Amino acid sequence: MSITLTPRQPLAGPVDARAILAGAWGALTPAELLARELEGPDGAFALGDAFTAAGSADGTLVIEGDASRLQWLGAGLAGGSVEVRGNAGDYAGAGMSGGALVIRGSAGDFAGGGAAGRKRGMTGGELIIHGSTGASTGAAARRGLIAVGGSTGPFAGFSMIAGTIVAFGAFGPDTGLLNKRGTLVSLGSITRPSTYRPACSYAPDWLRMLFLRLRDRYGMAVSPAHLDGTYQRLSGDFAELGKGEILEWNAA
Amino acid sequence: MKIRGVEIVDTFAEAFTMRSARIIITAVSPRWAREAALKLTGFATSVIGCKCEAGIERVLEPSETPDGRPGVSILLMVMAKDELGKRLIERIGQTVLTCPTTACFDGLPDAPDRVRVGAGLRFFGDGFQSSKVIGGRRYWRIPVMEGEFLVQEDFGMVKCVGGGNFLILARDASSALAAAEAAVDRIAGTTGVILPFPGGVVRSGSKVGARTSKTMIASTNDAYCPTLRAVTTSDLPPGVNSVLEIVLNGLDADAISGAMRVGIDAACIEGVLAITAGNYGGKLGPHHFHLRKLMEGVTA
Repeated sequence: MSITLTPRQPLAGPVDARAILAGAWGALTPAELLARELEGPDGAFALGDAFTAAGSADGTLVIEGDASRLQWLGAGLAGGSVEVRGNAGDYAGAGMSGGALVIRGSAGDFAGGGAAGRKRGMTGGELIIHGSTGASTGAAARRGLIAVGGSTGPFAGFSMIAGTIVAFGAFGPDTGLLNKRGTLVSLGSITRPSTYRPACSYAPDWLRMLFLRLRDRYGMAVSPAHLDGTYQRLSGDFAELGKGEILEWNAA
Repeated sequence: MKIRGVEIVDTFAEAFTMRSARIIITAVSPRWAREAALKLTGFATSVIGCKCEAGIERVLEPSETPDGRPGVSILLMVMAKDELGKRLIERIGQTVLTCPTTACFDGLPDAPDRVRVGAGLRFFGDGFQSSKVIGGRRYWRIPVMEGEFLVQEDFGMVKCVGGGNFLILARDASSALAAAEAAVDRIAGTTGVILPFPGGVVRSGSKVGARTSKTMIASTNDAYCPTLRAVTTSDLPPGVNSVLEIVLNGLDADAISGAMRVGIDAACIEGVLAITAGNYGGKLGPHHFHLRKLMEGVTA
């Protein structure tokens, strides 16, 4: 049985929430979790001052309702499974290295990006956002998967080192710039950067596997046309190594 | 014990511990998955001469495969665990990598012992290869002229059992073949079992060593050759003029036991005089399959 956090009332301002899921959080009791200290606009406070908790520890956590003022949620997450049944703030999953962070709503800027002062974004795990994201999604990501059910803001995959970002909606402007080895999968629309070069149109087997996982495990809106479709492969960014790629779905 | 008039000899099959991988091949259609599987399992009847033993375990529906395409499951077995990776890289590299539309996956994901396969094959990509981690498993994308070949980085390795067997002693060659075909048809598709010989049947059962050579590790099983009845110490009952053997390898002893039971039952047809099994007196293999114990309750 998972632990469920429910907000007592809407938060007054942005809160640095990285302490919630720091370290070995998966074995904490609800009381221990509620004792963790967060940093808000008016100073430090206990999680229990803003949330109630129910359930028992099993490595999974559910946050009910809107969490759009929780910033850095899941930053550095190394394992376990976290579900946000609402929106999340900026830096959701920033620097995460394992586990799964599922956001049923939308996320802010730098989802899966690098934590402050870090050269790398997420280095592993799965960040699933059913809504849309703000700017710099997956910036400097080193490994891992980011799937966005809606659209992304500008600069998605900026300076990506490796890893995968899938957008079911539109990629924002300036996607994939300075991408080294990362993969950007576009199922909606994308403005092709001038520093990428077209390669071919084909059906990558690994992408089919990935789509099956996104559909079956996370309930994302993968269609048969996505599974059986072909994808235009663009190599880039040639302003960098040129070993990255954009896979753009050839919609019928 | 008799089953439909066929004598079940009071003896046992003696089998050995081996190491196995399960290979899942998928392709755009069943045809191409099968083509790759047939090539991969070719010339893999016995470790004596082929370095490994392999066979098709069963055909997989798209819903059973990692990429949702039609597939085939294969078991490949070796005697020494450090041999498995070599054989997998050789065979997958030559027969699956080369085959249109295929991808290749590990079918033993829970096995703690792992052997690196895609991690070796990736070098065919000459630096253009890349990898993806999906669900915690790494897969290599190797660029090929058709597009990309996808192969899992490592494969599970488990202890298994090789050399389960039974011999069909028949009045004539056609009866022996009919019984062997019936047995193979009944065993086919059994999870965890392969029949590595041609069509699942062996006509040239062997004994350890040779009378005429110190270097040969196996030679014809003269005690069961009908043509030698008058010139050797024959184990053939009167009236037997043809013998065929079914050899079974399995992921565990239970899988072999179950397959032997249904196979022997199917082989008990008109023209078959007895079913027996090959062993070495119980001194070589730790797994013993006693025929009469296996067939308890099957008398109709």
